[in-house]
Amino acid sequence: MIRPRRSLFMKYFVTLFVAVVTPLMLGSATEAWFAFRDNRLYLNEILQVEARSAADRIQAFTDGIRDQLGWVVQFPWTQGEDDRRRIDGLRLLQQVPAIVSLSMVDPTGTERVFVSRVSMNRTGRGADMSADPAVVGARANRVWYGPVHYRRDSEPYMRIAVAGNRAAAGIVVADINLKLIWDIIAAIKIGDTGHALVVDGSGRLIAHPDISLVLRSGAGAGDFNRLKSVVSEANGSAVSTTGEDGEPVVALAVRAANVDWTVIAEQPVLEAFESIRAALWRSLILIAIGIVFAFVLAYWRASRMWGPIRQLEDGVERIGMGQFDHRITIQSRDELEQLAIRFNQMAEELGASQQKSERINRLKQFLPPQVAELVEHSDQRLLDAQRREVVAIFGDLRGFTAFTARAEPDAILAVLRQYYEAIGIVTARHEATLIRFAGDGVMVLLNAPVTCESPAHRGIRLAIDMQAAVQSLANSWNAMGCAIGFGVGIAMGPATVGTLGWQGRLDYTAIGNVVNLASRLCDLAKDAQILVDPAVTGHVKDSIALASIGERSIKGYDHALEIFAVGRIYAPISPMLVDSASGRSCLTHHGADEQTGRNAVGRAVQITPEPDSTASSSVIRRNHALV
Amino acid sequence: MIGAALAYPAAALAQESARVYRIFWLSTQSQPDPFLDGFREGLRARGYVEGKNVVLELHYAIGNPQALREVASELRRGKVDLAVSSGPATRAMTAVEEVPVLFALSGDPVELGLVKSVGQPGGNFTGSTFLSLELAGKRVELLKEVLPNLRKLAVLSNANHPGEQSEWRATKEAAEKLSIVPHYVPFSGADELDNALGLAGEAHADALLVFPDVLTMVHRGKIADFAIAHRLPSMFGWSEYCDAGGLLSYGANQRATYFSLAIYADRILRGERPANLPVVQPTKFELVVNLRTAELLGIDLDKSSVLFRANRVIE
Repeated sequence: MIRPRRSLFMKYFVTLFVAVVTPLMLGSATEAWFAFRDNRLYLNEILQVEARSAADRIQAFTDGIRDQLGWVVQFPWTQGEDDRRRIDGLRLLQQVPAIVSLSMVDPTGTERVFVSRVSMNRTGRGADMSADPAVVGARANRVWYGPVHYRRDSEPYMRIAVAGNRAAAGIVVADINLKLIWDIIAAIKIGDTGHALVVDGSGRLIAHPDISLVLRSGAGAGDFNRLKSVVSEANGSAVSTTGEDGEPVVALAVRAANVDWTVIAEQPVLEAFESIRAALWRSLILIAIGIVFAFVLAYWRASRMWGPIRQLEDGVERIGMGQFDHRITIQSRDELEQLAIRFNQMAEELGASQQKSERINRLKQFLPPQVAELVEHSDQRLLDAQRREVVAIFGDLRGFTAFTARAEPDAILAVLRQYYEAIGIVTARHEATLIRFAGDGVMVLLNAPVTCESPAHRGIRLAIDMQAAVQSLANSWNAMGCAIGFGVGIAMGPATVGTLGWQGRLDYTAIGNVVNLASRLCDLAKDAQILVDPAVTGHVKDSIALASIGERSIKGYDHALEIFAVGRIYAPISPMLVDSASGRSCLTHHGADEQTGRNAVGRAVQITPEPDSTASSSVIRRNHALV
Repeated sequence: MIGAALAYPAAALAQESARVYRIFWLSTQSQPDPFLDGFREGLRARGYVEGKNVVLELHYAIGNPQALREVASELRRGKVDLAVSSGPATRAMTAVEEVPVLFALSGDPVELGLVKSVGQPGGNFTGSTFLSLELAGKRVELLKEVLPNLRKLAVLSNANHPGEQSEWRATKEAAEKLSIVPHYVPFSGADELDNALGLAGEAHADALLVFPDVLTMVHRGKIADFAIAHRLPSMFGWSEYCDAGGLLSYGANQRATYFSLAIYADRILRGERPANLPVVQPTKFELVVNLRTAELLGIDLDKSSVLFRANRVIE
């Protein structure tokens, strides 16, 4: 059988699969997208906070130094106070660790006091610093932040100059070691490896958690100008770029306004988006699990649907082939199970109906249809074996054997067909049981399996009608040149009746002396003659004219029986037939000897529709039963 | 602060490394070696355990840099991961190019030709400098501040020390600026120390200045006692001298310096190139005053600015 290209299984499977997987994928994708966006916003915020905090603290660092420097320029310069100023300077050094040295400049721009942690201190009139950019700058803006310079190409320094409220207070210029900003920068940790760094306006590194980089920066090492310009362009939002060590980072810049430095907070991309990656992995694993789950679920559901349908389909096929005992087991507790139950009921009913129709057909073999229906519907036990008084009628064509030797097979069959039809009609009319046809012979039973009133009367009338029907046929046959006649024997007595047979071939039959007697009487009967045994005669002699033809010895009977013949209704047929009848050319096939029995079998086989051994053997048994 | 700063990235030592590193320690001084102690302390802080993942092979050639040259040639042959040279021993190492060399110097490594610049050493040498040279004048100045009447200053110096001559020159210049007559008492090696102390004692100086050096460091107690005995106010380079009885000291913390050297050792052992590790300069200079000694010597420190400037006062 050709399966449809798109099976129900596939349809169900695909639908269920898609129904589970699609929302899952959509959900995961949406979640991942939102998580990414949130993460990015969060990262932006974190970097912003850290950079801002660093910038504020750096500003506080420089502002603190500026404020401290303000202390020493509160009073106007007077003569002879250099030593007091020197002590101020030394105290300031003690107070602010980042200050390495201080120059105090009087209102004229001359250095008056110089104190240092490293170099020797100086007091008294010193160098003229009025052109020094620190002095110029402080005079102009009160506070001046110098550019970053790297002492000995290594340590970052910056000068801060502060002027007093009045020009008379002079100016203080401090040299600041920027290495001390390291504390601020090193304290900033963004995640595990994120950090902050500070570059000046020209992109040189001022502060970095790895101070070696700063110390190297004076010699031009590092690539911070690029980083600074890239990150600064983003205007306060995070950008993805390459960090100083060549790794991809997310960075954000904030300016420390007073000193024109840029604080960059950065975190390696790998770490920054780690939670996103983790979330994506989680989503992927969920999707994978979902797909497997959907697959299994869809397969299972589709199988649950498809399996019963296949079962039903198979069942229908089997029923179609006649296997009515086929049953379907579906335990899905749903409509399919209901369907299977219905199917099984249907199969059962079909089987029962088939059996019934088989039985009726079988009954119809030997019963008139209406009787058969009656038997079927009234009582099954009618066909069971039992002993009862029956009337057996045997009929047999005369001259048929000689005819078969001459005639064509078609003609033989045509004769038999007409003969059987005539017998059948008559038997049906009298509601008798047509036990069988055997070649040119026929056996009919009365009062079995269906009982009837006065079976003897019925039997004799049936025999008369049968004789009449066949005689009228024989007339037409003889007109065509055949010499065929018909003799009938009828007897009454107890017999065992019931169905006999093997496998599918069952026949209803009667066994007993009465059958043998009827058969013998048939053998004895001449054409157009109906020979009647004494029992039937006893019943019907009042209404039917019977004439005794004397006593005959019958095989199987110890003494001779008086045989009667129904008064002749029809004119005797041609003398030729009489001759041939007397020659017993065609009346011997029910002979007692086995030889003739076999002949009968041979003929019976010719008219049996199933010419197999089973049929033959059943016929044999039938004949034995008759004997 | 510097120690922590140099340690970046501040990850703990990779314990997974089953390797045992071999470090040569070269010195022209004798044991006990306070510098070695500082270095060992630094290594321990970085997670190294001697005998387990690091082996220190000590090579001492007292006052004989020549003997260390043989060690240097052994360095080139053997599988040595790092050499650390203390003081004059660095001189013997200048020819070594195959092995990273760490140094700790009082003087200027650029001047000595060990590195191209302080920021970018550029070769296989890097380390720390105490900036003793720059501080030489500052020490004289501080003495003068405590002793305004200082006229004659005895200067005790281990001549067998790199940069010693520069330090002496700087000291001399500063003294002259402050109208002080310096009396130079050089000596070479521990054997000559007693003799040198004798000479210093006979100089009739107003104060004693001792150059920081591993030898004077080892014998700091003896020198401090000598100074007290001769009623000489003394000035040293490291705080340990004051702990031993010296009056004043001004200079970088030598322990911190050697500690930071160990951090550089760690970074080099992890694969960084010394060429990229800037020479470490001290940021903080400690002024330590021993008040007990001042009392013994009858010096009133309250008159000067020294006490409020002191980072630590020993009472």
